[in-house]
Amino acid sequence: MNNLITIFLSMALLNNFILAKFLGLCPFFGVSKKLSNALSMGVAVTLVMFIATVATWFINHYILIPFDVQYMDIVIYILVIASLVQIVEMAIKRTNLTLYNALGIYLPLITTNCAVLGITLINATEAYSLLESVVCSLGGGIGFTLVLIIMSGIRERLELADSPMSMKGLPVALLTAMLLGLTFFGFGGMI
Amino acid sequence: MKTTSFWKEFTKGMVISNPLFVLVLGLCPALAVSTSVDNALGMSIGVTFVLLGSNIIISAIRKIIPNMVRIPIFIVIIATFVTIVNLVFHAYVPSLYESLGIYLPLIVVNCIILGRAEAFASKNPLLHSIADALGISIGFMLALLIISFLRETLGTGSLSIFGANLFTLPILGEHPMAVFVLPPGAFLLMGLLLALLRRLGVIKSE
Amino acid sequence: MKATLKKIFPVFFVTLVVFMAVALLSWTNSITKDKIEFQEEEQIQSMLGEMFPDMSRYAFEDDIYTIYSDEARLGYAFLTLGKGYGGNINILVGLENETTIKGISIISQTETPGLGARVSGSSFMDEFTGLNIGDVALTQDGGQIDAITGATISSRAVVDAVKATAVEKVKSLQEKE
Repeated sequence: MNNLITIFLSMALLNNFILAKFLGLCPFFGVSKKLSNALSMGVAVTLVMFIATVATWFINHYILIPFDVQYMDIVIYILVIASLVQIVEMAIKRTNLTLYNALGIYLPLITTNCAVLGITLINATEAYSLLESVVCSLGGGIGFTLVLIIMSGIRERLELADSPMSMKGLPVALLTAMLLGLTFFGFGGMI
Repeated sequence: MKTTSFWKEFTKGMVISNPLFVLVLGLCPALAVSTSVDNALGMSIGVTFVLLGSNIIISAIRKIIPNMVRIPIFIVIIATFVTIVNLVFHAYVPSLYESLGIYLPLIVVNCIILGRAEAFASKNPLLHSIADALGISIGFMLALLIISFLRETLGTGSLSIFGANLFTLPILGEHPMAVFVLPPGAFLLMGLLLALLRRLGVIKSE
Repeated sequence: MKATLKKIFPVFFVTLVVFMAVALLSWTNSITKDKIEFQEEEQIQSMLGEMFPDMSRYAFEDDIYTIYSDEARLGYAFLTLGKGYGGNINILVGLENETTIKGISIISQTETPGLGARVSGSSFMDEFTGLNIGDVALTQDGGQIDAITGATISSRAVVDAVKATAVEKVKSLQEKE
């Protein structure tokens, strides 16, 4: 149990996907201007991460390892993720059209989100059990969402602030990420 | 005329369409591996191989790819090249393979590669696609080298390439600014570099 | 006829591409596989050589390495995994005999740089040299190993893994005799 809590907190806070591992940066800088979008994006990514983790765990343990074809992992994982995103996209389109339009192009872009493929690779490298993998992916996804939300709140304010011309937009967002990252280092003493 | 076109595509990737500084694609692995120049070089070689390979194949078969399945096809082709690079690095340069870690296979979701496949290679002839791939790869490498040079020098006070120590700075050598080799430092440097490049007019502001 | 052909073509095309991809990858894999295994073996060998300077050969059986010099048996070694902060910590543990640790070597880890990553430093690893297996614990837990400041989790992960596996391996060695 202790181990699971450590994995969860480590993935969510200290080894935060965006601030420490640099995974999931594209949507981080693109979507995070509005709080509602940030939340939806975070939840969508966490969902895909979760399903992808479970799916790839089974593929890894029942197909790749027994048949000794682990070198196929990259190809298979990414195809599984691509299909998953398609399915999630269709599901959102059917149930919540406003959300679908709000997320726009960033929804299919979850396929190329480093966080999703990243979590499947992390689980495979660390040879986690199914439970550990699930905890890891949830921790990572929630941490991702958390940072996305914090960032959107800050960016809403930044839009109104008077930054120098060359800093406007992406540069100042990057500097904010730096400050956030430094703050998250404080979580190191927690465990 | 064909030679001028080739040269134009080639140089475009280096400044005007520099993948990291202008298109801002592929930040994830770039910031992660830029802790040392060695890693940056290794990553650049990997990206170059994959980009070149995928651009060539996709451009060669662009006329017969059914439109409906083109994205999955691109993905399979790119993933294949990435796996090859992964296996070859693991076998022949194991220390580089260890330091690059999961960021080597993550080349497959590097927006640069899928982006070039979709935006360029699938619509342009073979020679131009090769030029595009080379140009973008060199642009990526240059940007990554600048970032990693700064991070390694400021963060550790010295610079080593392939184990050979090039120089150690006087004051920084003993008291390096460790923040630069840590993740926040990457964000800081990237932000400052982008702002600087905009100020100098090399790239456009928002 | 032409209409059905047009419909089937995408599927056929995808299958063909996937088939070629798999073929290319399995060929690459067969070329690189031996080299990869060789690399891993070579790394273990050099680490064993560093730990046991008089080593001339070693044997591997039941997950335990037995180290020999020209004249005698020098000791044993085994691999273990510590559950660290940022993931698994790969450790090579050397035993001088059934009660004493020869030393440890951290093969790989992904702990926090400047904190947990210092388990790979000689100041931490040297603390294990010559230690009695019973004393392998953090000083705060009654043992002889000083944890790294600010990296208790990483330190404890290494200590726990070394102690537990050492006890287990010694037991299986004694059972064999």
